[in-house]
Amino acid sequence: MKDLSWVKPKQPQKRKRSERLKFIGVGILILLAVLYLLISGTLQGARYFITVAELLSDPTNHGRTVRISGAVDGESIEYDSEKAIIRFEIVNIPNEYDDLAAALREALMDNSAPRLKVLVEDAAIPDLLQHEAQAILTGALGRDTVFQASELLLKCPSRFEESAAPEGLSQIPEHK
Amino acid sequence: MSAEIGLAALTLAFALALYAIFASVIGARRASSQLILSGRNAALLTFPALLLATGALVGALTSEQYQLSYVYSVTDPQTPALYRFTALWGSQRGSLLLWSLLMSVFTCAAIGLNWRSERHLMPQAVAYMMATLAFFLGLSLFIENPFARWWILPEAPPAEQVVSTVLIPPGAIAPTDANLRAGAEGLNPLLRHFGMVIHPPMLYLGFVGFTIPFAFALAALAAGDLSTGWIQATRRWSLIAWICLSCGLILGGRWAYDVLGWGGYWGWDPVENAAFLPWLVGTAFIHSVMIQEKRGMLKLWNMILVISTFSAVMFGTFATRSGVIESVHSFARSEVGFPMLAFWAVMTLVALATLLWRWRRGELRDERQFANLLSRESLFVLNNVVFIALFLAIFWGSFGLPITSELLLGKEVTIGPQTFEFYVVPLFIAMYILMGLAPLSAWSATSLRRFGAGLKAPLALTMLSILALALSGTSLIVAALGYGVALFAGYVALLEIFRGARARRRSLDEGWLRAVTALFRRNQRRYGGYIVHLGVTVIGIGVVASTVFQTETQHTILRGEAISVQDYSLRFDDFIRAQAVDGRLMRIAAVTVFRAGGEIARLRPRIDDYPQMPMKIAGAHSTLENDFYVLLMGGDGERATFRIYINPLVNLVWWGGVLLVLGTVVAAYPKIVPK
Repeated sequence: MKDLSWVKPKQPQKRKRSERLKFIGVGILILLAVLYLLISGTLQGARYFITVAELLSDPTNHGRTVRISGAVDGESIEYDSEKAIIRFEIVNIPNEYDDLAAALREALMDNSAPRLKVLVEDAAIPDLLQHEAQAILTGALGRDTVFQASELLLKCPSRFEESAAPEGLSQIPEHK
Repeated sequence: MSAEIGLAALTLAFALALYAIFASVIGARRASSQLILSGRNAALLTFPALLLATGALVGALTSEQYQLSYVYSVTDPQTPALYRFTALWGSQRGSLLLWSLLMSVFTCAAIGLNWRSERHLMPQAVAYMMATLAFFLGLSLFIENPFARWWILPEAPPAEQVVSTVLIPPGAIAPTDANLRAGAEGLNPLLRHFGMVIHPPMLYLGFVGFTIPFAFALAALAAGDLSTGWIQATRRWSLIAWICLSCGLILGGRWAYDVLGWGGYWGWDPVENAAFLPWLVGTAFIHSVMIQEKRGMLKLWNMILVISTFSAVMFGTFATRSGVIESVHSFARSEVGFPMLAFWAVMTLVALATLLWRWRRGELRDERQFANLLSRESLFVLNNVVFIALFLAIFWGSFGLPITSELLLGKEVTIGPQTFEFYVVPLFIAMYILMGLAPLSAWSATSLRRFGAGLKAPLALTMLSILALALSGTSLIVAALGYGVALFAGYVALLEIFRGARARRRSLDEGWLRAVTALFRRNQRRYGGYIVHLGVTVIGIGVVASTVFQTETQHTILRGEAISVQDYSLRFDDFIRAQAVDGRLMRIAAVTVFRAGGEIARLRPRIDDYPQMPMKIAGAHSTLENDFYVLLMGGDGERATFRIYINPLVNLVWWGGVLLVLGTVVAAYPKIVPK
């Protein structure tokens, strides 16, 4: 009678080791590829996020691609619809603030705050580009002291934040 | 009255959640079934309490109770009924309440469905779910209370006379209804869109849904039951959360495409990315749990993934709601930022510490080892690596780099959309290739010959497609690396369905329709997964075409004149001024679109002038081939400026999304067992 018992043959130690080496090799390759992507992408595409005051006061920033943020002066907005060119001015807002809406309002009322002319080419005029909006721009300051923006983002906190205390509610004499 | 009812219900829900944590933890420690049941019942009661609180807020919104400062800030007398309801999630305070309501719904469902089968894990799971709920209810109650009301303090200095508080300050009087109605601010116009009606709740459902697998995983760690039980209990919850998150992301893209007027749907904004991050880790998780279920492997890795998904959800919520991240989408800067960051850090650290403890005790050892680089489990792991690499790259660009540079250099460094694309394009190519290769491999080991045999047909079809695209004028790089990799993954999925059906036809002599239906019934998870892969293929093709081949032009023309772009032309017919029922003024351009000389559509791009801002509403002629998308940039009766985008195959992005959701529903649907 044949012996029906069967023992699973052990996997040769050498083969196991070579499989493990393969896994480690592939893992290291992937890790190196991802690191290369992150490092080279960051070196090429990284930009400082600075204020208007920092941009204007430091000559090393001139001509360099940076990201800036400022308060939009509504009266300065011009749109050339034929050439799709937007021109406007932004005013410096500080790095730190508690209430963005208040910071934007105060910046625009401060006549001594640094101002910057901005030019955005071949762009649709965004709905949010209006007075007291916060503009976040990517671009470079040209020799003509105009900031040529390639990317324009806008936030309009005074329009959308819930009011802390709306004006007018208390101005009814019959309440007293 | 709504404010009082809502506040009482909110407070009750908070107390119930706290009690449920206490009773569940003590009950589990003392093995007291009475306490455990009491904790469960308290957790269940949070739902009616929160339903009442939410109902009170919806009632206040729909019945125009402007004394509630939330109602005042998100509606006005002109707001249509639908947007009165959706204003519930129109701003921070209401949406936090909705978050809590959805959390309680998921908790009740998890208790209802898993109480018997996972009885030993439930007390701890309930405690973790209730801890999350209690945290959000605490935010609603103490920081962002939706039931706060306007009060006038006549004796206070003028700048501090109007306050919004939960409790009535001494000597306060209420503003008149007429004054409140006149000042009410109305819903942000950008949120008046179908996508925004569904997008936020879907996103919250996805976020909240991933709390359930996290709670079960931590319960398993706490109870020391590290078998696959917790994975089987939560697999469906993960899929439901994943569907909701996917829907939320797709609808968010559609909203951006329709409303933001830039002809695109994804801008690599930090807040968009914050919602995408949990999706990436969640996707890795729903793939890798299969390996634990089938092979008893990756136990530690799955725990790390489920903790990371929850952590990404909490971090995303913090990024969106704290206002500390510069983004066009973020909420106003709020005091919820620090508590959210603290909660995120505490929960993540507690989870990781428990995991480390169990791991050091050797309780998370795998039952098998990886045997072959071409085995299905190895390819799944590679797929996980790609998803995690995507997660790390997007996290680094959105948050890691700005925060690290601020700490080390004292200046914030950021990257733009091009750099994000540089990071993610190679990783997405790798993802599509792996999506094609993995279904061709077998569990445990696959021989190179077998692998090659399975590869022949999809590879041949992909090559033929690339050749056809290159001959039709598409650049070879885009045809091969863009369409090619996506098509390869799609062909594999289609061929796998075809092979399965053919085998059934041969062995059981069934018709094609019956064979395919039976195939899906027999293995819903596998074939549902293939439908998801097909959806991702369709999305990929749509994304490549609409980003690489988008055409954009802008011209000002007189009435009767036309703008030509490709083989289309747009004729400016008329300029109309009108007023909508809700009071907004509308500037409407009537235009006719021709293609190859024949009229194909009459569109009405317009500008809606809301009191807060003007808003451009695009006119679009949509076909599967492309979207002719036109914006009215401005003009008067005689002249008008139009910006035209031609977005090839953009609708595949949405249709691919539908396929993806459909496939996930098939995979998650409870198995139909024939009687």
